[in-house]
Amino acid sequence: MMRMRSFLYLLFIGFSFSASLRAAVSDDLFTANQSLSTGHPAEALAAYQSMLDSPDLSKFSSPELWYNRGLAEERSGDAIKASLSYRRALLLDPTLLPAQTRLSSLLASLGIPASKNWTDRLFLMLHPDLFILGGAILGWLGVLLFVFFILSTPRRPGLIVLTLLAVILGHGLTLFGAWNDPRRLATDEAVVTVRNAPTLRETPADSSKADGTLAPGSLVTILSRNGAWWKVSGGAASTGWIPSTAITPLLPAAAGS
Amino acid sequence: MIGKLVRPMQLLKTAWILPIALLIFLSALVPNSHGAGAVSVRAELSRPEINAGEAAELQINVSGADGAKVPQEIAVEGLQIRLTGQSTQVQMVNFKVTSSAVYSYIVMPQRAGKFTIPSISVQTDQGTMQTRPLTFSVVDSSGAGQPSSAAAPSFPQPGMPGFSQPSRAVRQRSDSPNGGQLAFGEITCSKKTFYAGEMIPVEIRYYFNANYPGVRVTSNVDFGSEGLLVERTPDPKQSQEDRDGIPYLVLTYHTLLSAVKPGPIDIPFVKLQTQVQLPGAVPPGFDAQLIQQMMGGQNPFVQTRDLTVKTAPLHLEVLPLPKEGKPASFAGAVGQFDIDAMVANPKPAPGDPAMLTIKIGGKGNFKAMGAPVLTETDGWRTYPPADKFDSSDALSYEGVKSFDFTLIAQEQKTNSPGSEFSYFDPVAEKYVTLATKPLPLKASPASGAASPTPIAAAQSTPQQGGKPSPTVTAKVGEGEPLSTMTLHSWKTPAQRSEFLIASLGMLLASVSLAGILQFRRYQTQQGSASSRRRRLASLWSSLNSESLDAAASYDAALEYVELLGASENEAELAALTARRDALKYGVGGSVMLAGEERARLIETLRKLPHKA
Repeated sequence: MMRMRSFLYLLFIGFSFSASLRAAVSDDLFTANQSLSTGHPAEALAAYQSMLDSPDLSKFSSPELWYNRGLAEERSGDAIKASLSYRRALLLDPTLLPAQTRLSSLLASLGIPASKNWTDRLFLMLHPDLFILGGAILGWLGVLLFVFFILSTPRRPGLIVLTLLAVILGHGLTLFGAWNDPRRLATDEAVVTVRNAPTLRETPADSSKADGTLAPGSLVTILSRNGAWWKVSGGAASTGWIPSTAITPLLPAAAGS
Repeated sequence: MIGKLVRPMQLLKTAWILPIALLIFLSALVPNSHGAGAVSVRAELSRPEINAGEAAELQINVSGADGAKVPQEIAVEGLQIRLTGQSTQVQMVNFKVTSSAVYSYIVMPQRAGKFTIPSISVQTDQGTMQTRPLTFSVVDSSGAGQPSSAAAPSFPQPGMPGFSQPSRAVRQRSDSPNGGQLAFGEITCSKKTFYAGEMIPVEIRYYFNANYPGVRVTSNVDFGSEGLLVERTPDPKQSQEDRDGIPYLVLTYHTLLSAVKPGPIDIPFVKLQTQVQLPGAVPPGFDAQLIQQMMGGQNPFVQTRDLTVKTAPLHLEVLPLPKEGKPASFAGAVGQFDIDAMVANPKPAPGDPAMLTIKIGGKGNFKAMGAPVLTETDGWRTYPPADKFDSSDALSYEGVKSFDFTLIAQEQKTNSPGSEFSYFDPVAEKYVTLATKPLPLKASPASGAASPTPIAAAQSTPQQGGKPSPTVTAKVGEGEPLSTMTLHSWKTPAQRSEFLIASLGMLLASVSLAGILQFRRYQTQQGSASSRRRRLASLWSSLNSESLDAAASYDAALEYVELLGASENEAELAALTARRDALKYGVGGSVMLAGEERARLIETLRKLPHKA
């Protein structure tokens, strides 16, 4: 009983923190949204930036804030940074429909083909957290029931098999969600954020042989780092070294801390 | 036996060495035993006439003396003469030992003209000797013949020891007995008149006298000319070549030149910064040859000096591209090319883009090449292409450049756009236009998709050069800011410690549950056994207490038998049941059981086997 009370207390604290944080930024959010709606994207952008820089939003962040920031950047004429903000919003919540729509439209305008595999399409409908947490709950519930039924008399084989299936299915879903979660994959991903298409080099040097270019706004995978030069892959056919200043990691710096 | 004979024979063969060695030793010990009074001093120039910018060698040969003292420098107006080395030779003829020493000087002219090197005083153990004066001519190099028509050996050596004119050119080292130059460069250009934008292969060769193997290149090839575009120079190829009987180490560089503006271009030289190792001056009293032998062939008096090697000047003429006949799709490509097209995904999903790849192959200025122009683009939304160049040589002169066009169908389409690519052929001296036909595909717009934003419209025209302009002055359609806010972690739940703790908690709970259930089960099993025992004891007590009537006593006896195990006591159970029914439904059930019958009943029950 005491344990249950402690757990509920912790839940209450977590909820209170979330609620107080939401209350703290709600006024700022309203003001920033007003600025954006009334045609002052620069002011709105500064306000969104200020909210996102808040220490409270280091490990946690709001996909809606990133989406709004993307809107402000897009209206300020910075399509590349807007694409990064939309990508970050979708990283936090892949089911955020407005961000999906805006990003698709923006990438099309930048001439970047939107390549989505089936897991990406699945996460557009169902948040990966649902797989991980739902799977974990189902899996562990299955474990508990399996233990119960296997040790109870008389034994009922049908229920035992059913709970065993729940164990396998639940933990399988958790593993699937965790493995394919865009946030896990994003640790090695970055977006080209310079206006001029950066040249891929064969070796980390300006004098090295050029090996194609990367479209601004495109998503690349960081393969290795060598000081100010990072080796990236923009697809099967385009791999090379570019200056690290040409790209911005998909995960904000604060997220890694 | 044979072995005993061989040994004296070997002794006889080698016995002559000992007295000869003794003789040499004694002769070396006897002072002035060689050539006394035959000391001679002679001065020689390697060449009586040289070109300005070259160097000559002066040697002073002293023979018959034990040692000699020569000046470090010889002062001559217009010349710089400096001691660079010394070698000594010892000979024995008819037990007469003679020695000679050669002192080498480098002679560097500072101007053209005729010079006289005066008598040089040489101090020997026999007294001071004088050399003969030597005449020496230096011809102005501007009119001098060169090793080849394209060569212009001019080797300013800023750091030659003891020389104060770093800008002067040097061709020759004094230690080169047959003359020859220390280093020089040559440039070979496939054509000297070419069109603006045309890439011209160029070969630059730098020759280094192989007698001075310690050459290190310290810079890349430097074209000191404006208006010229020079491609990155790959690493040079090394080879060896003889020129006028002198071996040279040759570094060959290949590169490409091009020019943007028409007009004449003069390349004064193509220089290469190097460091060479030159034999330095041997301190007086040291025998250079002996020291070199002691050092295992290495000269300990080597000096490393910077040396800039230059080629001859080169005059180029850049022609403008003709204005007449220039196609509208011409975007700066000069060379010889071919074209190919392919569609990567001929059946894209509705709304998804199709990828049209145009490949331009051949040789020419791929870097300055603009993208092909798409034709028949009605019903398509197109974007500036991404490009990629696959070179087939180190200079990126030949290869294939791919342009990937993203196409989004605005209506039902069965063919891709075509393409057109124009270039100037410098060989045929005319513009050429290549085209690809539309390729079959099946593409359709997204059903119910959001209408394209004005951004796309602003970007729909392909741009020259294949460089998309990412700056989009966007007018966002219906995108409105969101006023609600949710919080999500940057980490997946599986990456967070809470998830791990909760999982461990669930594992612990499962194990605990298993333990609890197992314990209860044990308790239950244990509980039924003890209650059975208690009931048996209670029945036994009731049967013995004479408190029960006859029917109740048989009821108790029947329950007792059932608890003990009905299957094992079926006969007793049947007999007891029959007697109980007789008493219960007949006469005498309500009276107390007679003492004999009670005793018999209890005895029967006592004999029954107990269940384990």
